[in-house]
Amino acid sequence: MTSDRLDPITFEVVKNGLDSMVDEMAITVMRTAYSGVVKDALDYSTAFCAADGQVIAQGLTIMLHLGSFPSAIQSVLTKFDGRINPGDVFILNDPYTSGGIHLPDVYIIKPVFSGAALQGFVGVVAHQADIGGLVPGSNSTESIEIYQEGLRIPTSKLYDAGKPSEAVFDLIATNVRLPIQVRGDMRSQLAACEIGERALLELIGRYSAEELNRHYEALLDYSELRARQEISALPDGKYEFEDFIDADNIKEGPVRLAVSLEIRGDEIFVDMAGSSPQVPAGINSPLPFTKAAIYGAIRLIMDPDIPNAAGYHRPIHITVPSASVVNPVHPAPVAARGITGFRTMDAVLGALAQAIPDRVPADGEGGNTLISLGGRRSDGTPYALVDFFAGARGGGSGSDGSEGVSHPAGNTASSPVEILEVENPVVIDEYALITDSGGAGKFRGAQSYVKQVTNIGEQATLQLRSDKRKFPPYGLQGGSTGSPSLNILNPGPNERLLPTLAQVELGKNEVIRHEMAGGGGWGNPLDRDPAAVLEDVIDGRVSVKAARDEYGVVLAERSSEVNEVATAKLRTELARQRGS
Amino acid sequence: MRPDGRFVVRKVSSTVDDFSRGIASGLTELLAAESIDPGSLSEIVHGTTVATNAILENKGVKTALVTTQGFRDVLELRRLRFPDLFSLNYTPPKPLVPRRRRFEVAERLLMDGSTRIPLDSASLDAALDALGDAQPEAIAICLLHSYVNPDHEERVRDAIQARFPDTYVSASIDVLPEIREYERTSTTVINAYIGPVVDSYLQSLRVRLDNDHINAPVSIMQSNGGVMSDIAARRAPASIIESGPAAGVVGAHRLAARLGLNDVITFDMGGTTAKASLIEGGERSLTTEYEVGAGISLSSRLVKGRGHALKLPVIDIAEVGAGGGSIVRVDAGGSLKVGPESAGASPGPACYRLGGTDATVTDANVALGYINPVSIAGGSVDLDMNAAHEALQRSAATPLGVDLLEAAYGVYAVANITMIRAIKSVTTYRGRDPRDFALMAFGGSGPLHAAEIARSLGIKRVIIPEAPGVFSALGLLEAAPEYGFSRTMIADPVELDANTLIKAYEALESASLSRMIEEGLSADRDGAWSRTADLRYRGQAYELTVDANSIQGGDITAFLVEHFHEEHERTYGRRASDEPVDLVTIRSTYRIALEQPVPSSSRPSPMQHLPRVAYFGSQHGEVSTPVVSRADLTAADREGPLIIDEYDSTTLVPPNSMVHLDDMGNIVIDISSEDTVNAS
Repeated sequence: MTSDRLDPITFEVVKNGLDSMVDEMAITVMRTAYSGVVKDALDYSTAFCAADGQVIAQGLTIMLHLGSFPSAIQSVLTKFDGRINPGDVFILNDPYTSGGIHLPDVYIIKPVFSGAALQGFVGVVAHQADIGGLVPGSNSTESIEIYQEGLRIPTSKLYDAGKPSEAVFDLIATNVRLPIQVRGDMRSQLAACEIGERALLELIGRYSAEELNRHYEALLDYSELRARQEISALPDGKYEFEDFIDADNIKEGPVRLAVSLEIRGDEIFVDMAGSSPQVPAGINSPLPFTKAAIYGAIRLIMDPDIPNAAGYHRPIHITVPSASVVNPVHPAPVAARGITGFRTMDAVLGALAQAIPDRVPADGEGGNTLISLGGRRSDGTPYALVDFFAGARGGGSGSDGSEGVSHPAGNTASSPVEILEVENPVVIDEYALITDSGGAGKFRGAQSYVKQVTNIGEQATLQLRSDKRKFPPYGLQGGSTGSPSLNILNPGPNERLLPTLAQVELGKNEVIRHEMAGGGGWGNPLDRDPAAVLEDVIDGRVSVKAARDEYGVVLAERSSEVNEVATAKLRTELARQRGS
Repeated sequence: MRPDGRFVVRKVSSTVDDFSRGIASGLTELLAAESIDPGSLSEIVHGTTVATNAILENKGVKTALVTTQGFRDVLELRRLRFPDLFSLNYTPPKPLVPRRRRFEVAERLLMDGSTRIPLDSASLDAALDALGDAQPEAIAICLLHSYVNPDHEERVRDAIQARFPDTYVSASIDVLPEIREYERTSTTVINAYIGPVVDSYLQSLRVRLDNDHINAPVSIMQSNGGVMSDIAARRAPASIIESGPAAGVVGAHRLAARLGLNDVITFDMGGTTAKASLIEGGERSLTTEYEVGAGISLSSRLVKGRGHALKLPVIDIAEVGAGGGSIVRVDAGGSLKVGPESAGASPGPACYRLGGTDATVTDANVALGYINPVSIAGGSVDLDMNAAHEALQRSAATPLGVDLLEAAYGVYAVANITMIRAIKSVTTYRGRDPRDFALMAFGGSGPLHAAEIARSLGIKRVIIPEAPGVFSALGLLEAAPEYGFSRTMIADPVELDANTLIKAYEALESASLSRMIEEGLSADRDGAWSRTADLRYRGQAYELTVDANSIQGGDITAFLVEHFHEEHERTYGRRASDEPVDLVTIRSTYRIALEQPVPSSSRPSPMQHLPRVAYFGSQHGEVSTPVVSRADLTAADREGPLIIDEYDSTTLVPPNSMVHLDDMGNIVIDISSEDTVNAS
């Protein structure tokens, strides 16, 4: 505790109360939301901010929203200075005028008053299933300006002193393809804000507003102190790393993300100078989102108990060049900036791996592949399937990469195959692990998986956002890269390879197959325990050939046991060839 | 328990090699000691952790899984989500069936039950051969969309049973015919994995009891709070996974009914964890979003993935890592933490002097004067006050820079706030206001913390039942037979006519009844069906369960859809009356009402106690507090502070609250709304 005179016990009790409040808000959204993006992908966040806009508590849903609230709240405070009243609710999504992070992420923010005094803000940002623009799902990577990406909502009053703004509601309903889902999700955001408001007023009733404010300060100081302690324990030095986004749909690709990370005492300095200039495709990442990715990566190597209060940002200093792909200026398109957020996080972790090699695993699948398929059913009603493919982590210093566990940046869930088929005119033909897709290593990367979808309805628009084909997941400490990702249209004799970022019309009975990238390996594959290789072969995760060629493990007849003599000989030979 | 409700208790050590041995010999000893004729027993009710332990300790059998071609890895890929947001190395639990024993058959149904790919007999033969090579002890089967059309899965099941007649087989259509393939597969696999373990355990129990001339039927406690025959449990062992914690809630439910209370929060605090559950409108609340082996974590309500999904109805219990043995520490940032690490019974709290040196919640309660410093458990365990003081000074007071009593009171307050989150997660998180409920507290430590927790939540009344330390076990004696069945039936209730729906219920019920009779249900036990349905707004991911008993040929919309709108509004504060609603699953539960005696313990006589100096926070400071036994209390209100010492528990009545004994022997505390504690 750095703040004087505060009772440490009340502090702990208040902290629990605030965490409980944002969790309760998050549960409300999850259980009442309509769109798959929100309910299954957990692509939303809840937060409580003090009256000055500083984040005091945030629900644990998606990493890439941590740190993206301050700019949104600032836009409310700036634009409506002196005009924030009880019963108001604010809405925004625009990155260039209002602190948004891309158009589908709609913020709904409610100021909480006790009497006439502003006590803080409760807010929910949620990824809407559609916000208009070029394609269903509003995730087009083909736009060259943000004007094509859908409805831009500058910070506005959705409710004015308790009265709903018919104009704003109507504008939204008119401009989106799925008004019922969007309205349902907005309603769940509003419900969560009301629950947050009620919980905050209860806390204010129990303690005074003045005492709570002192606890907010203490919480910010506490999270800062904990972060500084963690950073102090890291070895000082300057560490550099670069990673690339394939961006094979544009001539500017591949897109470079450069990270220079310096640890100095109890502070970290991150500079992204050298990253590519902004591109005329929707993968530019607005600054608040880039910062969230950097904070998130550093947060991953800290004690998970540190509260999600903005204080932990204080010892982290971020410099990002303007008009770059990680800090675009108007009117650069940003719809698919998720990919850039994932890659920024991977690049920062790559730099940290040099400082603390035992604590950072190799690269994973690169964040989720997003597939949207939208069109009309035979009865004319619209649908939009939005699903995420994720979950092939890199190997680490003590364990193989986990299969079926999403990228730490975005804790997405898959939708059940049976539910996808009930709700959309599709059949999922296959959903299974891919042999030999994980990068070899002493601790291998996770095997990736394939998901193959047949459109059994009318012609529909398919949008794919994937990556890591030309630049597959990196290995560390001598481990191999994971397998590259693939998008295959109509697999078979007439199959066609689609780019990583693709938008095509998918006719009736046409098929799209996505093979996700495999996790990177950690450590020299020749050091892997041969028994572990044997287990992988028996389970069909690693082929007999890869066991021999990658790991130098020779198996006896019918793969029942390791031929130890032949293995030792082969490993010596491979080590000589590889110069390791 | 005798017909008049009087009961006798005997505790025996577990016989770890074969639990049934200890049960049979313990029972025989007890009957001999009490001169009871073994032939006169009418029923044996058994709660067992055999099923849970088989999963937690990876001691289930070698299991295989047969699935639809292309979906071999559904069990392993789960739903992708992970519970530890800030972990780079999160490892999910290993699937209960390894990849080498997951086999595919070529077949495919569509979501409406129509056939896309007919069941291919060559691929079925190949799967059978592969099963023959693998030699599993149990086989689970789960094919896509089998809940809507069981044909393929039945044929696969029958072929497997014909080829491997001695192998334990579980098909998803028999275990959980509901949509969502991961959850259905996982539940079926759990059933198969523990099936032979539970089967042989219950068989051997039966044999041992028969050998000892105990012929009474054995009933097994289920996770949903009902009991089922041992034969039924052998076929559906996944239903008895949470039989332990369920018993306490069943006991509380029965007691609440006798007291005429419809709305009660149950609060069970032991040495390591605290559990909360809800009785609302006279009903226990169930959930189908349970994970086995997920451990204790409130975050599991938000982010799943720590355990194995089990989608059978389980009493909805929220559990947190706070109990008498929870360890106290101050973290690197100077913040006081309590739990979830626990000193348990061994090495135990510092004051037990059994080797534990960490300060625990119990040490704080001793230092505060709440627990008798000389001895507990009727004088059989001596406590060391100095050891409690030393540990608290070192673990909390010195690092926090406060005096010992403040530190101890802080531990008490922080433990309370943790437990409050468990209660909130079954109330406010679900749109329920805890102030509308009474708090029923039991478990060894529950009565010490209940009043203060109630005050924080605005709960006005706390009830401490008799024998709170063994209350959960007594709940077993009060459970009634209950058999739940379900089937997914996706439909728009507006287009569905009532007769179709009623026919679907009747079909489910008659199929289920013949199965129950097969499993030994005797025809003379008259039961009644109770119907519910799961609905959601079209496109939502989660359903809400609503009462469906009132549908009688009339307007479904009025009964079912309106119930759903109401429930949605009650739970989430909003309804959308103009939006389409989907029916997803129908459920029917067969309940047999029993004329059961009420357990009653013999009342100990009043004892002589010395007052203790107890600390109630900075506002009240140290107060000389009278100590009484339960028998000293009467129907007349007595004002706190007061401490009630009993053999197996201590009840704390804080200043300003009133306490009396009701005519059934329960301690009733009426909580003052005055906030006496600034840290609560």
